[in-house]
Amino acid sequence: MNLARKLACVVVVFVCAVSLAANWLAPVGYAKQFREAPGAPPSHEHWLGTDEVGRDRFARVLYGTRISLLLAPAAALVSTLLAALVGGLAGYLGGIWLRLARGFTDLFLSLPWLFLLITVRAVLPLNVSPLTSVLITFLILGLLGWAAAARVLSTSADALRNSDFVLQARASGLHGPRLFLIHVLPNLKPVLYAQFWISIPVFILSEANLGILGLGVAEPLPSWGSLLRELEGLMSFREEPWRLVPLVLLIVVMTSFQMLLSKEEVTA
Amino acid sequence: MPTPDSSPTLLSAQVTVRYPGKAPVLQGISLDIARGEVVGLVGQSGSGKSTLALAILGLLGRQRAIVEGKIVFQGTDLLTLRERELRSLRGRALSLVLQSPLASLNPALEIGTQLREAWRAHSERAATSDDCDRAIQSSLKNVSLPCGGNDRDFLRKRASQLSVGQAQRVLIAMAILHRPALLIADEATSALDVITQSEILELFARLNRETGMSILYISHDLPSVAGICQRIAILHEGEIVESGTVEQIFTAPAHEYTRRLMQALPQLPVQREVLLARAHAVTLD
Repeated sequence: MNLARKLACVVVVFVCAVSLAANWLAPVGYAKQFREAPGAPPSHEHWLGTDEVGRDRFARVLYGTRISLLLAPAAALVSTLLAALVGGLAGYLGGIWLRLARGFTDLFLSLPWLFLLITVRAVLPLNVSPLTSVLITFLILGLLGWAAAARVLSTSADALRNSDFVLQARASGLHGPRLFLIHVLPNLKPVLYAQFWISIPVFILSEANLGILGLGVAEPLPSWGSLLRELEGLMSFREEPWRLVPLVLLIVVMTSFQMLLSKEEVTA
Repeated sequence: MPTPDSSPTLLSAQVTVRYPGKAPVLQGISLDIARGEVVGLVGQSGSGKSTLALAILGLLGRQRAIVEGKIVFQGTDLLTLRERELRSLRGRALSLVLQSPLASLNPALEIGTQLREAWRAHSERAATSDDCDRAIQSSLKNVSLPCGGNDRDFLRKRASQLSVGQAQRVLIAMAILHRPALLIADEATSALDVITQSEILELFARLNRETGMSILYISHDLPSVAGICQRIAILHEGEIVESGTVEQIFTAPAHEYTRRLMQALPQLPVQREVLLARAHAVTLD
């Protein structure tokens, strides 16, 4: 691991640890309103000031980071499992199943990702509880984001299906699901891990996009998307630079994730 | 479920294999293997040797090959069997050893896991893990690999931790776990160095002597075939052009292609005489 990757690893671990410690670091919580000080600049009480309705911005950044950093891996897990199921099985079965799966994933991939995401989220109920909005965002990302990974996995499983060791296993009498689970799936693990890690920054950005448009996690729950939405009303960066903290944090974490992924994983 | 018969012929194949829209890969070839016999199938790359091996095992279907004719094994035509019935034969009555030992073992699994899976594919429901361990140890012992006691670490190794010779022995151990009637060795020694090749050939010969297992030894290497086979069939462009005892093939090749094969053998001063002597010894056996 080179220095850049070590540094990226430290950044991601630090941000995750700090966000998980939000309850202790920011005991005021993300929803408490300090009505006497709306839009206040940074102070001893409010390190990053308060937002327009008087909520502590530092607390909201910590809690928002926690939600975004938990939501994206959870969605990545769902999408990777779906990809393993669709792509892995199709590649293993081959023939018509592989052609059907590839056709379907190609069709899926031809749709603009963000447009698809916004459209699907827009047709679902918007006036829901914050927890439901988290669940909907997580499911949309997970259920719509599997196609690219499935394409990669179908190719890998197809190669494994024609490998010598699978032929040897079949010649030994192994077949069906057991052959897939015992001989094929363990060899797909590196591709599955790579697809999982690649999906995380994609889903972080996607959630942020939905949040900026007001289609992500509902108020008062914060997320990076909803925190970035605050930048809409920003008149001057120079006068209120602390309001850029969520954006800087997003850029730093995204860059760190990209640095953590090896070239092979990115091109997989 | 096919029932075993007791006729001296273990396998009798008259078969044509072709792919849609293409010329036949195997054109009406005829091959018989007696019980306990070691038959060599010799031909150059692309002549259809591996296709015949896969056709016997019923593993060509997925490649959309059309297999016509008859492959009678222990009195049952394999081409009339359903996939489920074929599966019950693969690994139990018919076994395969492939060319590339390291590629034929799953890189992600321990050797022990692969052997256990091969055993479980045909084990009875009442069989215990002790039965499995005993079968694996017996099989490893047969191929002179570490087994039991302090050697159990060997089963925890993966393919990447084995030498090519060890990997080939593991594959052979896997192939003989259920004491098959016919072992198909498809270029099983081609990827090995000369010394390991000689050891594996000796292993095949010993397994044949001790267990009475028939072996179809597929190779493009005539000297190795002469080392263990009683009969040789020469496959050329999808047809068996000549077949006979090792001595016949080496001393009086009838077909032009066989003569070319003989002429192509390396011309070391003693090689031809050694091969002839070896062929004579095998024929006398």
